[in-house]
This record gives sequence, C-alpha cells and structure tokens, in this order.
Amino acid sequence: MSIEKTAGIVLKCKVCYRLTVGADFCALHLKAYENITENYQVWKKALGISWIEYLYEIRKNSLTGEWAKEVAKYLIDDEGTRDVKEDQERCV
Amino acid sequence: MPKYTLIITEKPDAAKRIASAIATTGKVRRFTDRGVPYYVPEMEEKTIVVPALGHLYTLTSAKRGRDTYPVFDFKWVPRYLAERGATKIRTWIGVISKLSENADTFIDACDYDIEGSIIGYCILKFACKNKERMAKRMKYSTLTQEEIRKAYNQPLPNLDFALIEAGLTRHEVDWLYGVNLSRALTIAVKNCTGDCATLSTGRVQGPTLKFIESREKKIRCFVPTPYWIIKAKVVVGDSVFEIKYKDFIETKAEGEAILARSKTKGGVIEKIDVNEFQQKPPRPFDLGSLQSEAYRLFRYTPMQTLKISQRLYLDALISYPRTASQKLPPSIGYGDILRKLNRRREYERITGELLALSFLKPTQGNVEDPAHPAIYPTGELPKRILDSSEKNILDLVVRRFLAVFGEPAIQESVKITISIGGNEFRLNGRRNIRKGWFRFYEPYVHEEDISLPPIEQGQKIDVKKILLQRIYTKPVSRYNPASLLRKMEEKNIGTKSTRAGIIQTLYDRKYIREETATITDVGLEIAEILTKHCASVASIEMTRKLEERMYEIQQGTETRENTLKDAIDVLGHVTTELKKNEKELFVNLGQAIRRAKLEGRTIGTCPKCQNGKLVILHSKKTGKRFVGCTNYFENICETAFPLPQTGRIKPSGKTCRGCGWPVLRVWMKKKRLWNLCLNPDCQLKKQPG
Repeated sequence: MSIEKTAGIVLKCKVCYRLTVGADFCALHLKAYENITENYQVWKKALGISWIEYLYEIRKNSLTGEWAKEVAKYLIDDEGTRDVKEDQERCV
Repeated sequence: MPKYTLIITEKPDAAKRIASAIATTGKVRRFTDRGVPYYVPEMEEKTIVVPALGHLYTLTSAKRGRDTYPVFDFKWVPRYLAERGATKIRTWIGVISKLSENADTFIDACDYDIEGSIIGYCILKFACKNKERMAKRMKYSTLTQEEIRKAYNQPLPNLDFALIEAGLTRHEVDWLYGVNLSRALTIAVKNCTGDCATLSTGRVQGPTLKFIESREKKIRCFVPTPYWIIKAKVVVGDSVFEIKYKDFIETKAEGEAILARSKTKGGVIEKIDVNEFQQKPPRPFDLGSLQSEAYRLFRYTPMQTLKISQRLYLDALISYPRTASQKLPPSIGYGDILRKLNRRREYERITGELLALSFLKPTQGNVEDPAHPAIYPTGELPKRILDSSEKNILDLVVRRFLAVFGEPAIQESVKITISIGGNEFRLNGRRNIRKGWFRFYEPYVHEEDISLPPIEQGQKIDVKKILLQRIYTKPVSRYNPASLLRKMEEKNIGTKSTRAGIIQTLYDRKYIREETATITDVGLEIAEILTKHCASVASIEMTRKLEERMYEIQQGTETRENTLKDAIDVLGHVTTELKKNEKELFVNLGQAIRRAKLEGRTIGTCPKCQNGKLVILHSKKTGKRFVGCTNYFENICETAFPLPQTGRIKPSGKTCRGCGWPVLRVWMKKKRLWNLCLNPDCQLKKQPG
C-alpha cells in the first residue's frame, strides 16, 4: 500500500507499518539493515560463511535485536535480495 | 482573643513531631476542625502547629478549556480548583485561613528545600493573606527533639525568597512545557485518528524518554559477532582451577590452531604478579546513591526508596533524605550518633570499635548541599514496629554511616601466567589482607577470596581439560530504574526530588514497561516526534541550560521574567510547527496507540482455530461485551464467549491450570478479585466446591 505525497510516492517499510526513508525500510529497520551488512564481514572472516548462512545464524541468535531479526527474516524470504547479495559476494 | 504563633508544616506527621519537640512539658493537645488536625503544645507562649498536605496550591490555565494550545497564561490556584478529587484541600485551606486570623507570628516549618519552601510560601501568601514577608523560617535536617528545638529557638528571620523565586520559576516553566506539549500530542492524535488517549511529555520527561529510546534502538538493531575463548582446567596443588587464554580470538581457524598447540598434558608457571591495592570507604549517601544501592540490594524502585526514607525521616530515624550532599559536617555530632546506635545490639560491636578511636573523620564526596547534609541515621530508636522495607533502608543507612568512618580495605591480587604448549594462559586470585570498612558495611559488601595454593615460578602443572568456546558480543543492557536515575543525575536533568517521580510517570503512561525499562511502541513514537519536531525543547542541552538558569535565579543573577519569556518563545515556535505537521506526524503515533489498545484487550491465542486472537469486544447491536476471535472478520472462526457485564475485566496473561485456555481477571464491586477461565467445559469448573 502506498501513500501519495506531493514530492512523490512514499512506501511502507517492508517489515513494519512505518514509512520508508530509503528504498525498502523505515529509519528503524534501515539502521538494523546497516548493522547486518556491516557485521557480515566480521562473521565471514570468523567463520567463512556465506551471506545466507550468516542471515540464518543471526536470525536464530538470541542476542540479535528484534528489528535486526525482522530484517534478517525479510532478507531470507526475499529471494531477489538474496541473489543480488550473493552475486555481489561472488564479485568481491 | 489572645494572639498566638502559627507554625505551618508540610505534613501532619511533621506537625505532631514538631509540636511534641517544642512543648516545654512534652505534652501536646490535638484538635481537629472539620477533619483537619492541629496541635497545641504546652508552653508559655501560645502556639498552634498546623500541617499542610503537601502542595495545597498549583498552577492552572488562566483561560478555561483543555482542548486548545498553546497556553501561556497561568495562575496559582488552590488545588481543588485545578484537580479532580482534591476536594479535601478546600477544607484544609479553610482551616489554615481561620487559624491564621488570630495569629500574630508566623513560622514556616516546611522541609527546607525548593518544594517545602513553595508549600510554605503559597500557604502564607494565599491562605494566610500575604503573611509571607513577616514569617520566620525554621531550618532543620532531622526531626529529632534537639534539632527541632534549636530551629524553633533560632529561626531564620525571613523566608528564603531567592529559593522560592527559583522554585516558582521551575514550576511555571515545567507547567508551560508539560501543558503545551502534552496537549499538542493528545489533541493531534484525537484530530488525526479520532482516538482519545492521555499522552504527556515535559521538560524532563522528554529527554529521559529519549535516553531509553536511544538505548532501545541500539538493542533492537544489534547484530552480535562471534569470537572465541580457550578455557582449561588445571591442577594446582590439590585443587582444580579454571584458566583462560590471554586474549579473545577473532576467528575459528585461529582458535583451533591455538587449541591444537595447547593440547599437551602439562603447563608451566611462567610469571607471578602480586599487587596490593586499597579500596577506599564509600561516600555517605545522597538521595541518588541511596536509591541506587537500595535497588541493587533489595530491588526497591527509586520511588519506593524515596517513600520509605521519607517515612523514616518523619519518624526522626534518619536525616532529611532529599539531599544532594555527600558531606557529613562535624556539627551533626558523630560521637552522639554512634553512642545512640551503640544501644542497639546489632551495632554494639562496630560502634564500640569506632567510639574507641581517638579521632573520627568520615570519607566524604565533593558535592555540598547548602540546605542539608548527606543522609545519616539519628540514632533514635523506632517508636513503632517498622515493616521489612523500612528496616532494610534504616539498616542500610546506619551501616553506610558506620562504613564512612572505617579504614580503607586492603586486598591482594595475584596474576599468574601459565604457558601451555607455548601459549599464555591466565589464572587470577584475590584475597583480603585487611577488611577495613568492609566489616562495617557487611552484609552489603561481599568480597569473596579466590585463594590460590602456594605456587612458584617454573612449577609444572597438570592440564586436565582444554576447550575452545564460541562466544558472541552482547548488546548494551537496558536501563533499570536505578541506572536510569543515575543517567539523569549524570546529565543533570530534573532534581533529586523529581527524578524518581518522572521515571514513575513513564511507567504510568505506558511509555515503558517491565523492570528493564523496555520502551513500548507508543513511547517509541513519542520519542520519535520529540526528536524530529521538538528537538529544541526535548534536548538534554536545553534542560541543563534551564537548570543552570534556575540556579542563577537562586543566586540573584537571573530573573524569573526573563526565563519565562524565553520558555514561551521557544514553545511558541515548537507548538506552531507541531500544529502545521499534525496529520503527517501523528499517523504512526495513532497506529501505535491503537495497537497498544488492542494488545490491552487481547486475551491470547484462540484455542479453537489456533490462529486468531481472542479479543474483548462490544456488540454493536446491544452494547454488551463478549470475547470473540479476530478470525471472525475473515469468516474463518466463529468462536465467542459471554462475559460478565459488570465490573472491570482485564487479560491476566496466564492460562488456566486445568485446561490451558486463556484466563481473565475480573474485579467486581464489593467482591474479591477472581480469575475467569473462558472454557465452558473446563475440568476445574466441574469439580465440586
């Protein structure tokens, strides 16, 4: 569902009811997404795991924050995101 | 009619105690007028001691109506005109006014702090008809007989008008912020969503909520990262000790490599470092540190500790608790207090030790409060049976008072470096060499020895077990009531008397919940609005600046008018901005309120469809309440249960022990609170009795 605004189209966050500030997420889930992407390098270096394995790991971890878990779940479910990220990973 | 002296106190308990203390024969006659007590002590000069009931006057809008903002005109009025349910105040003011008519001397004996000064000032000005300039002021820190008599015989010639001016400004600025911002939130939500909800924020409440919000965001966005530690069990002498590899390990491969190198049968002691260090005695309690310590030891919230210590103060068992001071001046009489405490068996031994010293010097902090010293026990014996919480706080105050006179504790730490397969591991030990003040503060300080057997450098040790363990970084902890209070103190927002109340308001408004101060969706949205659109009024910087200005008013370098004018300017801009963006702003807040309301009515998962939620609903036709499944609206589940039509009903959050169905709590007039299981076929309902 979208809400028309004079400046353009404003969308709802992919995870919650709030309005997006970027392409997919509201400000709160965007911060969680940034943390997820930033910390992937640490996990990759530590365990040598793939992006999708990483997302499963953080989703089941009890220390992961609620919003980070919601974003991880969305990223796991969202096939497109997974493919793009894995492509990026292969390029790196 | 002969003239008399009228003494005004803050609370009825204080009036009774002051009257007894100043009576030359110790006898006091108690009178009541329309339920309001006052006391006439037996003494040469006729004196009447009359109590207030805390604040009898408050601020209200000069114009009628609650659904407009901004509001910048206000006036001081009796509380019964501004607050619902404050009818008793009308009688109280009436009685004080009547007693003031024949009085020729007035003494303000309310607590010597901002709030006490305002209570006394308003009564003298409004109830006693402008007697504030002729009134004297009693200043005391404990309600013991000696101190009360001294304060009565040597009163200050005038009220502290600078303190009163600062206090009035604080109340007025807080009223302006509170009323305008709270009305803006409440009215906007009503306009945008049609929902009625009591929302509030204020000059201190806003920044406090933002502390919680900021931490909550960090916790909810937190992504843990792994690291590894290596632990080993080694035999030293006859005992087994756990030792740890010297560093945290970043990768699994590195950890496995170190583990492989360490898998030998033995290790060798490479180095032994022994250090002695001192632990200085603690500072005496100010209100904040007492509240923190009471939370640490007994889990009392700051509000509970404040109330308990207030009761102990009114019983003359401890000094005035609303103090920021960390100093105990010699004038309180250390020796006298210790001698009085010595009468109690539990303190006999330790006070005896202190009394045997030739010189008593307390450890003190840097903060000084001109009105009161740090919190200390008076040494008086309780005249009534104290409840367990009062006993705990009194004992804590006594033992802290004793501890500040103790010697520093001396401890020895031993750090042993053990080499296993060329990798360094650590073993730590600790023992008390001199217990010092620990002995006085027991059982509230407990430093257990980690004793190590005699060890020499080069000694060989057996390694029993070694393992690699994956650990994750942890998010920051949520605030608890005590750590939140410390944060407010550190940022200098609010006052020692108001902080606990503000934290309580955040709970009452349901902005935060549970002991860990977890922010709710409504709290989150309020904080978001404050950050985005009221940054200038909800910033810590602004709050701190205002506190500084209050202090300057007290010092006579700033005026009340200037401070109020600036507050009105800032609020004018903010309220205009809020009004302009009302719709856009409050969509999320409205949704959060609706969700919170729905959550408040949700009983649990539907036991029939196992998918929908059971919710308390009202029939559109009959207006009767019942429980229905949310899947009814999707035409999936028609589960519904009747409910009692009178009394208050709330979800209990529990399930029935007989059938596992959700349970409701029911409050009915003149009946005991009972639990209602929704299952009509529940086994427990069929059991006789």
